[in-house]
Amino acid sequence: MTPTTRRRARLAAAALVAVSIALTGCSAASASSDADGGSLTYLDAEIPTSAQVQEAGTWQTRALQQNVTDRLLYRNAETGELEPWIADSWTVSPDGLTYTFVIRDGVTYSDGTDVDATSVAKNLNWQSAGDEAKGTTPNAQFPSGLVATPDDASSTVTVVLAAPYAPFLNVLTGWGSGLVADATIDASKEEQSKFVNLIGSGPFVVASETYGKEIVLDRRDGYAWAPPSSPNQGEAHLASVTVIPVQEDSVRLGTLKSGEADVIRYVQPSEEQGLVDAGYDIVSKTGVGLSNQWFLRSQAPFLDDVDVRKALLHAIDRDQIIETQYTDSWTPATSVLSPGTFGYVDESAKFAYDPDAANSLLDGAGWTERDADGYRTKGGERLTVKTYIDVYDNTAKSLFQQIQNQFKDVGIELSLNELDYSTYWATAFADPEVGALRVGWPHPDPSKGLSEYYGKDGSDLLGLAGSDTTLQSLLDAQNAATDDDTRAAILGQIQDHLIDQAYVVPILNDSQVFVTQQRVRGFSLTDGALPEFYNTSIED
Amino acid sequence: MSTQHPNASAADTRRRQYREYVVRRVAQALLVIALVYTLVFFTLFVLPGDPIENKLTSPLNPLPPAAGEALRAYYHFDLSPIEQFTLTVGRLLHGDLGYSLVSGRAVSDLVAQGFSDTIVLAGVAFVLTILLSLATALTAVYAPVRTIRSIAASAPIASISAPSFLIGFVLLAIFSFQLGWVSSVRDQGFVSYLLPALTLALAVNGPLTQVLIQGLRNAADEPFVTVLRAKGTSEVRIALGHVLKNGAIPSITMLALVVGELLAGAVVVEAVFTRTGLGFITFESVRDQDTPVILAVVILISSIYVGINLVTDLVYPILDPRIVRPGHARSRRSRLARPDVTTAVASGTAAPGGTPTKASVDA
Repeated sequence: MTPTTRRRARLAAAALVAVSIALTGCSAASASSDADGGSLTYLDAEIPTSAQVQEAGTWQTRALQQNVTDRLLYRNAETGELEPWIADSWTVSPDGLTYTFVIRDGVTYSDGTDVDATSVAKNLNWQSAGDEAKGTTPNAQFPSGLVATPDDASSTVTVVLAAPYAPFLNVLTGWGSGLVADATIDASKEEQSKFVNLIGSGPFVVASETYGKEIVLDRRDGYAWAPPSSPNQGEAHLASVTVIPVQEDSVRLGTLKSGEADVIRYVQPSEEQGLVDAGYDIVSKTGVGLSNQWFLRSQAPFLDDVDVRKALLHAIDRDQIIETQYTDSWTPATSVLSPGTFGYVDESAKFAYDPDAANSLLDGAGWTERDADGYRTKGGERLTVKTYIDVYDNTAKSLFQQIQNQFKDVGIELSLNELDYSTYWATAFADPEVGALRVGWPHPDPSKGLSEYYGKDGSDLLGLAGSDTTLQSLLDAQNAATDDDTRAAILGQIQDHLIDQAYVVPILNDSQVFVTQQRVRGFSLTDGALPEFYNTSIED
Repeated sequence: MSTQHPNASAADTRRRQYREYVVRRVAQALLVIALVYTLVFFTLFVLPGDPIENKLTSPLNPLPPAAGEALRAYYHFDLSPIEQFTLTVGRLLHGDLGYSLVSGRAVSDLVAQGFSDTIVLAGVAFVLTILLSLATALTAVYAPVRTIRSIAASAPIASISAPSFLIGFVLLAIFSFQLGWVSSVRDQGFVSYLLPALTLALAVNGPLTQVLIQGLRNAADEPFVTVLRAKGTSEVRIALGHVLKNGAIPSITMLALVVGELLAGAVVVEAVFTRTGLGFITFESVRDQDTPVILAVVILISSIYVGINLVTDLVYPILDPRIVRPGHARSRRSRLARPDVTTAVASGTAAPGGTPTKASVDA
């Protein structure tokens, strides 16, 4: 094309756009308030990899599943209450072994098949057992040995567990528990990995995807089964959501500022204030689950002494960390669980920043000598704690360095080591010298995370192998406690014990930070801090 | 070949020598690819961690041991390295590249997606590189003002030292964020290739331009230029028609290296411009130790390198048959045509004294 014809083509295109805007403008005015809420461009910081339901471990994958699938139950992000969703109602037997769900009528998957009792039962069995022949693993959050039996006549699904599993209802609200059509379950593992093959009953449908580049979600026509607390009960306002992974922070931000994007996930904390001043909205939330925490391994050098571990708890000035490196979107951790999580108890008084207390604990433990660099020594050995910088957190490096400085103030050396992304788990967690590592992620129910991290049958990160019988029996007891009050009390005791024994050093409450254009309305985050586009619209 | 007739003509001998040469070079090329593949395969086994291992042990979303075993069996990680190697090579010979361990997608799809994007990007960048080098070199040698000549002559150094990440971001900030001419994140077809291609061209043109400048300067001093000038040929004709034709020969050898540079530079450029080409696929698969994808990328890239070298090797004897016949006289032209590329890159000048052997081009 010559420049002239190109200009003409552009003019023609512009005219066409103008006309079509005028036309849609007219139709929007005459239609209901549910009319075209526009198309939203969302830039995520990471690439969604596999859509395979049970493998959905990464945050960016959950964010998509959240908007494409529905779940049996909904957990209200504000009140923390469980609400009906695809299950109209549910009952749990007193022994905690039998769950009965009544399935809502008239719900369909986007391929037209029914979300009936048969389909729900199939989903639950599949989630619990996986499919060995296809290399499909079980959902790690689900109880194993679950048997779900449908009764389509009465629209009920009866679930019988092999052992009581109190987290079950919360797990059913989670991002990994999205219900999918037979077409998805029956597909090969490789087909299931594609987002276009993720057939849910949610308010959006995956219209197209280019791996690593772009995923387009279209509004599901006729959607009418939102959770009762949702302000929108009909179809989504947005006609489409274009999800583009942009890993470069500066490019993501530049694209937002140029007006081409409506919502982005994650900005450097140092950028937040400038964006607020420029009129952008910051939407942030700490997801339910475990706080950002360091576990301390008592077999590691010097950490077998509970007083040394306690000194570490008191040596961290969390307020200073938030003040110097983060923003109002972030908060210091106040427990092993994050606020708003079922069973959360504020433990912050037990690990307040107190260098004097840390110093006297260390003096009492015999670390009285100091070497030329100012670190404490005992019997000629320097008090050194080894860690690896977390590879999953963009802010980890400066965070770890600041803690290193704070430790130095009381004479503890924090030895920082780095690994690349691919070797992190295999190397850092196997290193017997390691005293502390960062863990703590969102979980729909905290007990699963706690048992998984700190129980002898899970990852046993503390390396206790069940030798702390108090901890182990508490972890075991809460699974069987089906009564909410009893369970909350046990969770409280677990948090007490983990802090009293200084097994865990809570650092901060991890937040998901989004920046939106002012024209974006109704953008909200779920209890797991995932974006919900259902109530979102664009208003110019 | 031992049955060769004693009366075979010289042309037959040359053809036979060339055939032997071709067979030898092709065999060498295939051997290099096979060795690289084997080396990478077993290196990946020595390194700690893989996506399956991470999935099994990750406190993020760990799996019960029984499920872990099933998963290992599904991906054949329960076999010994040798058995896995045999299996993988067997599949490879059937054209089956397997599936990504991370995204679950067919490796052939991923590599095809990446390659089809990068080949266009590299192609556009290649053309821009040549244009950029020609413009800079002609300016450096022929600009009427001395200052302009020296600025142009130092431009290659500047482009070698400027990080392409920075160049890319500056281009993006100007043309996308400020002027809004192209999208920073959406694929708008050919237009979307221009900025990343320009970034790549700016990053790789340095050495090529240096060789070209040197080549033009050398050619401009050749006696034939004096003859042409004496015959009254115009300076523009001399420059573009004769000096350029002769002086560009050394830099043509460098084009093969430029292709390699373009592929290597694509990783950074694709990250800045949010492109999902081969650089992106490579980066992701190495980050996650996604073995099947890494192997496919390795075999593709080594085939490209080896292929380009092979073509160069096979074309040279056609241009200059003496290469397959050892012990021939060397002319100044043939030395010029086959400069020592390594020295040229390292010192920034074409070294016309380079030995006209294969090794200099392979290096």
